[in-house]
Amino acid sequence: MTEKHLSSQFDSELANLSSHLLAMGGLVESQLRQALMALTDQSDEIAEAVMAGELRVNAMEIAIDEELTRIIARRQPAAVDLRLLLSVARVTANLERAGDEAAKIARMVRSIMSAGSSSLPLSDLRLACDLAAELIAKSLDAFARLDTATAITILKDDIAVDREFDGFVRKLVTYMMEDPRTISASLSLLFIAKAIERIGDHAKNIAESVIYVVKGADVRHRSLTEAEAEIADIADARIDIGQVHYE
Amino acid sequence: MKLLVVLLALLLVFCVTLLLVNRWYARRFMRWITDPATNPMPEMPAAWGLAAAYTRRALGREQALANESAARLDTLLAALDVLPAGIVLLDNEGRILFCNAVAASHFELDPARDRGQHIVHLVRDPAFVAWCEQVSNAPLELTCHADAPAKSIRLVAQRQPYGDDCSLLLFTDVTAQRQTEAMRRDFVANVSHEIRTPLTVLAGFVETLQSLDLSHDEQARYLGLMAQQTVRMQSLVADLLTLSRLEGSPLPGMNERVNLHELTTQCAAEAHTLSMLLYGADAQQIEIETAPGFDLAGSSAELRSAMSNLLANAVRYSGSKGKISARWSRESNHGARFEVIDNGPGIAPEHLLRLTERFYRVDRSRTRHAQGEDGTGLGLSITRHVTERHGGTLQIVSAPGQGSRFMLIFPQARVLAE
Repeated sequence: MTEKHLSSQFDSELANLSSHLLAMGGLVESQLRQALMALTDQSDEIAEAVMAGELRVNAMEIAIDEELTRIIARRQPAAVDLRLLLSVARVTANLERAGDEAAKIARMVRSIMSAGSSSLPLSDLRLACDLAAELIAKSLDAFARLDTATAITILKDDIAVDREFDGFVRKLVTYMMEDPRTISASLSLLFIAKAIERIGDHAKNIAESVIYVVKGADVRHRSLTEAEAEIADIADARIDIGQVHYE
Repeated sequence: MKLLVVLLALLLVFCVTLLLVNRWYARRFMRWITDPATNPMPEMPAAWGLAAAYTRRALGREQALANESAARLDTLLAALDVLPAGIVLLDNEGRILFCNAVAASHFELDPARDRGQHIVHLVRDPAFVAWCEQVSNAPLELTCHADAPAKSIRLVAQRQPYGDDCSLLLFTDVTAQRQTEAMRRDFVANVSHEIRTPLTVLAGFVETLQSLDLSHDEQARYLGLMAQQTVRMQSLVADLLTLSRLEGSPLPGMNERVNLHELTTQCAAEAHTLSMLLYGADAQQIEIETAPGFDLAGSSAELRSAMSNLLANAVRYSGSKGKISARWSRESNHGARFEVIDNGPGIAPEHLLRLTERFYRVDRSRTRHAQGEDGTGLGLSITRHVTERHGGTLQIVSAPGQGSRFMLIFPQARVLAE
């Protein structure tokens, strides 16, 4: 089904690179889940672990970038291979940023805990955080399967996360007006909400990269309907990132 | 001589014809054999016909065997699908050869599309990825968040190598097991905590009495406090025994008739006494209707502990200005209901669901607001057990600042007309 390169070495290099990228994705996913857990359980220990994990994410980003540079230099890729490698670079950057946001959430959880305010609307935030973590997971699934249909649904879901964020900000404002003592904790919550909203955006960027690899169409900064219309008639590119098609 | 030439010529013609005819048959045979399943078998005489018939028979046998083994494989895979554990078969590179329905739902895999996909590309939990890379076959415990993100599932993964460097991953759901373990741990921790508290107080007073020369009055006061603590421990042990008896014994039979009038009168008297002890006479308004006009089938001792637990809670938590009313009534579906209504502080919604858990307290400070000796934290748990053993339910309606309403609802089968 997929077209093999003349050099099978190149194929395995691409497959390895994708594996490393997805492993990094797995780490970022677990960082997000842990940040969510720190928020739910108000646990200092978990927040600490998230901040420590951030260093590993950074190290993986550098390792992947190095591998990527080597492949581009040696193989001088074209067409779909070039798109794949460009997308790997983009996805790596977005994952690293999502990891940063997870660490930021952990930091804010600690500052909320030290302020010791419990009457704030934490449960709304948990829901949104869950949604964002789910989006990152879905976007990585879409990348592993090179699945544009899922990628399109992620573009839709990100709109839901943004809407959730707007609603949350309005709610926080009423809390702050009611009781000015909660302002400093509310500001920390606002940072968390913003981080969650950004994580949603990173998931969306990853989904757009998947569309770029498979369809060769750049749907960034387009509305959903435009993006859908643009890729509707383009056939999927044949590309191999490690999946074997058994007969 | 001429005859010989003619004969030779005829022979030649005959041979050529034979060759042509055979060639024609061979072509028909070849055309058929390229796709014997769809092309009709040609009618051919002699050896060609025989060859075609034998070939067809051999092909048929082959096909039957292939069908049979395909059917066997399908049955096997269908059996793997209904297995309650998740199964994933991996090739030598860690790519998915097969995954069953349970594994697919755990990890949101698509059994058809994800064949040939590296498992670590889709199950990206760092612990799992690291486990896949190592060689040891020690089991791994991991959490997955499929389906409902709020609900996480605990899985134990085991790996068994088989065949040509392939491996079988087995995922067992241990969520319920882990929950039970946590509950047991909590229970033991709670019981020891509840017993240790009065014991510490007792030990302190014993030490004081032993080492200090106290006046008679002081001694009497300390002994009184010690007596209170022993009563508390006694009631805790009694409640624990009641609970374990409730769990271990057969359900109350339908033959024993419980005289509700008598039982309610007794419970009402107890409630009045308790209220008087705690707040003095006439502080609380207690109205209990003691003549329901019907009886129940069940265990009198159990029902009594359920009712008196509810009444005692109402008396304790509604304070000196409490208004408590309790009554039996019939449900519209011919069942029966015992309800206790108080005007106490009420219960916040987040506590309502957990209220009947053993040792669950709305909060520690609230326990201190309750009057008299501390409850054991087991009362509502006992009440719920008793009600459920009688086929009924315990319902609680409450909101902060609005008082509470506790209802025992029994099914029609338990109700006996007077």
